[in-house]
Amino acid sequence: MTASQSQPQPASNPTAAESDEQRYERLLAEASTIRGVSLWQDAWRRLRRNWMAIGSLALLIAMALTVLLTPALPLQSPILTDLDHRQFEPPNTRPARLDLRQRLAEFESDVRPLREQLRTASGAELTELRKQLSARYAVEHPFQKLWHKPDWLSRQLLTLRVALFGDWCIPSLCGTDQLGRDMLARICWGGRVSLVVGIVATLVSLVIGVSYGATAGYLGGLADSLMMRIVDVLYSVPFIFVVIFLITILGQGDIKAWLDRHGINQITIFYFVIGAIYWLTMSRVVRGQVISLKNEQFVEAARTIGASSRRIIFRHLIPNVMGVVIVYLTLTIPAVMMFEAFLSFLGLGVSPPDVSWGLLVNDGIQVITRVRIYWWLVLFPGLTLALTLFALNFLGDGLRDALDPKMKNR
Amino acid sequence: MPLLVFLLKRLGWMLLTLWVVYTVSFFLMRSVPGGPFDSEKQIPEPIRRNIEARYRFDRPLIEQYGRHLWDTLHLDFGPSYKLEDYTVNEILAEGFPVSASLGIFALTFALTLGMTAGVVSAVRRQSVFDFSFMALATLGVAVPNFVLASLSVVLFVFVLGWLPAAGWGSLQQIVLPALCLAAPFAGYIARLTRTGMLEVLNQDYIRTAYAKGLSQRRVVLRHALRGAVLPVVSYLGPATAGILTGSLVLERIFFLPGMGSHFIEAALQRDYTLAMGTVLVYTLLLFTMNTLVDLAYCIVDPRVRLEQQA
Amino acid sequence: MPPWIRRVFPYAVLASGLAAVAWAAFFGTLPPADFTFSNGDEVQTVDPAKATGQPENRVLNGLFEGLLTNMPTTDQPDEQRLVPMEPQPAVAESLPEISEDGRVYTFKLRPSARWSENNGLGGRPVTADDFVWSWRRTLHPDTASKYAYQLSTYLENADKYNTGLVEEGDRVEVELADRPDPIQPFPRGTIVRGTLRRIVRPPAPAADPAETLEQRETQWRRRWTYVVEIKPVLPDAGQGGRVETHESPVDWAAEGNLRAFSQDPEQAEQPGAEFGSLGAIQPCVHVLLDFGQVGVRAEDERTLIVTLRNRTPYFNSLAAFYTLFPVHRECVEKYGTPRWTKPENIVSNGPFQLQFRRIRDRIRMVKNPHYWNADQVALNVIDVLAVKSHTTGLSMYLEGQLDWASNVPKLMIPELLPRDDFITAPALITYFYRVNVTRPPLDNVLVRRALNLAIDKRQICERVTKAGERPASSLVPPGMAGYEAALCGQFDIAEARRLLAEAGYPGGRGLPKVEILYNTDDNHRAIAEVIGQMWKEHLGIDVELKNVEWGNYLDRQRELDYSVSRAGWIGDYPDPNTFLDMFVTGGGQNQTGWSHPGYDALIAQAAAEPDPEQRMRQLHEAERILMDELPILPIYYYVSINMVKPYVRGFSANILDTHPLHILRLDGNAASASLPAEAASPSEPASPAEPPSSFVPAVPAETDTP
Repeated sequence: MTASQSQPQPASNPTAAESDEQRYERLLAEASTIRGVSLWQDAWRRLRRNWMAIGSLALLIAMALTVLLTPALPLQSPILTDLDHRQFEPPNTRPARLDLRQRLAEFESDVRPLREQLRTASGAELTELRKQLSARYAVEHPFQKLWHKPDWLSRQLLTLRVALFGDWCIPSLCGTDQLGRDMLARICWGGRVSLVVGIVATLVSLVIGVSYGATAGYLGGLADSLMMRIVDVLYSVPFIFVVIFLITILGQGDIKAWLDRHGINQITIFYFVIGAIYWLTMSRVVRGQVISLKNEQFVEAARTIGASSRRIIFRHLIPNVMGVVIVYLTLTIPAVMMFEAFLSFLGLGVSPPDVSWGLLVNDGIQVITRVRIYWWLVLFPGLTLALTLFALNFLGDGLRDALDPKMKNR
Repeated sequence: MPLLVFLLKRLGWMLLTLWVVYTVSFFLMRSVPGGPFDSEKQIPEPIRRNIEARYRFDRPLIEQYGRHLWDTLHLDFGPSYKLEDYTVNEILAEGFPVSASLGIFALTFALTLGMTAGVVSAVRRQSVFDFSFMALATLGVAVPNFVLASLSVVLFVFVLGWLPAAGWGSLQQIVLPALCLAAPFAGYIARLTRTGMLEVLNQDYIRTAYAKGLSQRRVVLRHALRGAVLPVVSYLGPATAGILTGSLVLERIFFLPGMGSHFIEAALQRDYTLAMGTVLVYTLLLFTMNTLVDLAYCIVDPRVRLEQQA
Repeated sequence: MPPWIRRVFPYAVLASGLAAVAWAAFFGTLPPADFTFSNGDEVQTVDPAKATGQPENRVLNGLFEGLLTNMPTTDQPDEQRLVPMEPQPAVAESLPEISEDGRVYTFKLRPSARWSENNGLGGRPVTADDFVWSWRRTLHPDTASKYAYQLSTYLENADKYNTGLVEEGDRVEVELADRPDPIQPFPRGTIVRGTLRRIVRPPAPAADPAETLEQRETQWRRRWTYVVEIKPVLPDAGQGGRVETHESPVDWAAEGNLRAFSQDPEQAEQPGAEFGSLGAIQPCVHVLLDFGQVGVRAEDERTLIVTLRNRTPYFNSLAAFYTLFPVHRECVEKYGTPRWTKPENIVSNGPFQLQFRRIRDRIRMVKNPHYWNADQVALNVIDVLAVKSHTTGLSMYLEGQLDWASNVPKLMIPELLPRDDFITAPALITYFYRVNVTRPPLDNVLVRRALNLAIDKRQICERVTKAGERPASSLVPPGMAGYEAALCGQFDIAEARRLLAEAGYPGGRGLPKVEILYNTDDNHRAIAEVIGQMWKEHLGIDVELKNVEWGNYLDRQRELDYSVSRAGWIGDYPDPNTFLDMFVTGGGQNQTGWSHPGYDALIAQAAAEPDPEQRMRQLHEAERILMDELPILPIYYYVSINMVKPYVRGFSANILDTHPLHILRLDGNAASASLPAEAASPSEPASPAEPPSSFVPAVPAETDTP
């Protein structure tokens, strides 16, 4: 896209009958109203007219909210297996039980003596007892047993859930899997992983790509062509090696121990591995933008009318680069999610009991055979994944159109 | 001769790229835990040493690198560590035509389906065609190809019984994998064509063409399409890369003996020489394809000059 | 850009596009095969000396034939629907004569056994010398056979030949550095024989940080000088027409000449003056134990005499195993390894010969007209497909593209179980978890017992694996004649919690995270998920699952870089020892860090024990210790799974999961029309009550457990 046209233009032709003074006044008035329409407002106005993009945006927001609030929703446990009664249950509305209140009460009565002791204890004994109590919380608390290592936020949301819904939980509307686990809960919890992988990996690629691309574009000359040649070379490197390599190296004993100490788990590694692969295109795009913007007339123009370089950067350069970057972001997220699914297909994805959509879909296609198709195992996760990718793609397209000044007033 | 200069420059870059790819992947692979001779049963130490000596694993890494690079320069990738009856060259010679056939069919499908849909959508803008083609195109982009493959096996093999489930050796067996492989690219090409066409259809020369009284068919095919082809041509480079990647999955699902399945197995089983061979062939392929695309771009678009591209 | 290019360009693109499509659409067509089956994976090699897995086993049994071969002893399945299999005469015309002490086996070869013909080679009879030469090739260090231990463990002196270690005073063969092709170990260079008098070792080199210890030692060995007393060749050597002739027998009693050899004469040290003048040090490729010392020799063309190190009751099973198959010497020497295995070169002696091979696609075998029993071979063309995805394999089977699927997706087993063409049989394989006993808290035996007790193995068999696997309470699977397994504790949550509390972790409190390592596979993952959940739920242990791919998995297991790791073991032979000797201190397959002197002692005693009953008792005691200490947690005993079209005759379920191809035949009427997928319904075949076979031998099989 070229940014030169994004400068405000007069909307109508002046009529000859006007006096100069009137004309200037009218122009001034017009200009002041027009200045109010920034690039972003303009883009938003155009985006609003694209109902597919808006629908996609709404869907994505809804999905993000669901995924964010998953712990507070009355879902079944995503990891609790029931091999004896619930394997491969088709979608149904039979009530399900989690007995959360009862479990919580039992736990509370279990730790009550410890709490009593805690009240009267002091000094070294107090710290010791505190440690014991927190150890019991970390292991025996029902949240720890029914969910895989919920973080602090999830635990608060789970508490909220118990307060709101009590023991009631949504029946297995999406059926259950091979080990009798509720698919709906797994899809929601898998969505947390998938969306977070998508977003974080994209952000990682953004950071690397933008800084690399901007540096190359800014430096120009030999450095630029060298840096871009490196990108070209990397384009031809088959990425799967990088992935296998990084995942295995980072999973090594001592490296893993070090990572564990710093609270980094496999999924975090994943973000970085994928992010580290997807920065190439981003860097190219940003470099192109920076180069074209450096020499653009509107930058020159702004400079001649005495705008400070701060103003130039924040009013002119950043918004123009941001447009492309945002469009690219919405298109990278689906690519990353797809890649995560691809890695799951190869068995290099997230480790159970964590789930992701890619893993669920891959499990689903394993049971598509002529003998029997457990359709719900592939339909629901596949639909969720496809819908998300669909929405992201539409939103990306919409944004691109909206941010493209050539589309202005169209 | 700008063409010659361009090609020579590209050749130089290609050799450099291949060397870098070679070096990086050589050291990456050697530093990954696990060697090619691991097996669940432990091999007695002296035997292990003999095996390693046979493949020069007992030499210092840098010496292995040097010797192997020397052989590679002579286009000899050495024996495969895992498929012991074959040299890497033989495996590549067997696998490449399979992958190439699959890729050619996929690219053909992607281009014909994508461009047709794109042109129809652009000409009949806002019609039912436009809407449904674009929805299909986005769906093609949004569904992972292994899911698409499984679903199409259900539809075309189990339900309709039109095509065989898997395998290699006849034209029927290639249709399904090639279609699944082509789907995302067809979708993308359809959207590119549509956007390009819409832009071109608003240009003055198209209006002039209509004004001259040319038929719509002639205007679209002779004049508009030419302009719309440009973004598609520039997309062919990334599309080739994507088709190579996609074929990894599809070759596995459809049981095709192509380079993709060799590559995955080699990487997972630490068959260093084979993995290296496939990586280099992929790199070569990508680079050639990108060069051809650049060349084609210069020919199709008079504004672009070869000197800038090199 | 000249304008004409621009004009021509679209047509050029179109033309080249069409040409490309035309090229891509051109397929070399293969005529259809009589019988097609999926082999699970690509065959790594068809060289019997180098092959190692189950897919290789299926192919090699078609292409080659050993002294004996595993065959069903009867057509009638027993009450478990199993057919007993035993090694039966193949190239040998009868079962071997065994000496009193059980150490000397005499095989009489069938005169009608012949090699296939290819490119002017082959066609001649299979002789005893073929076996001697093939076994020698397998054992030769340069062949680097991974399965050489199938021979070297049992044959007298074979391990010394195999490892290439010689001592002063040994009779040795020295191979001079005049091989026709230095890269090919065969044909070998000139061989001289004599007694090794002295090894002169230069001082060991100083440590170089750039080299590993192994590299240093290999380099050092190259500079050793061997002083050998070369014996004269017997004047009346050569027994005409024998393959082994060019290495003429020597007169060991005679006085010989002293000579010095080294792999690297330039760097080697001159031996001292005590040997007098030896002349220049001669370059040699190897100084190996004289093969005459190894326990195999050809008495005449049709008599092979094998001498074993110890009494080995299961040697007949080994004689039917592919590592011991013969290969055709002239073919190997003419083309070299690996080119002799190409379809256009290979000469083999099995019921089939190799016609065509495409990697990760198919191996096509056709009937070998020279096979001694060719009249009885019904199939003419067999396609062996390397289908790796079980789902794809099942689809192909159901679509009629396969006649035999050697595995199915695990998740489909409940649906397939009622079908008649779904065949399962117990196998000598145990699925278990290794526990790294060097890593707290797993160093505590109480914790390990608690972990074992908290696994509901019955539920895993019934609800996860579902193919009729049996929950395991011992390492040694049932089916070993005369052996009673020692059992570990059964599923008991209360007791498990009690033990954990006793170990100092009441309710799982304070217990560090336990990680279950497994290699990428849906079945392993499902089991790990279930067990992880059981431990979490019943014991309050924080369990993490660690999925790695195969190479990484082996590496971590070897380096004890895991907490709990999935494992499987296929019995090499039908004897408890194959399972139990894994866990001796420092054993290559131990990989748990576990060590128990009492256990080691019992295993050693059992190896030397002549009385079979006493031996079994000792092995039982050893397993008792293992099951008390629990460095491994047994989970279930495997079953083998096959799907075979109903029109295939001669396919029998057996404990070895071995299915000879040459006895398969197709029912004429059914063969052409493949049955509809849902036609089969469960029905019990009439099987007369027969006493269960007392001793069912197993062949050593794949290492990568399914």
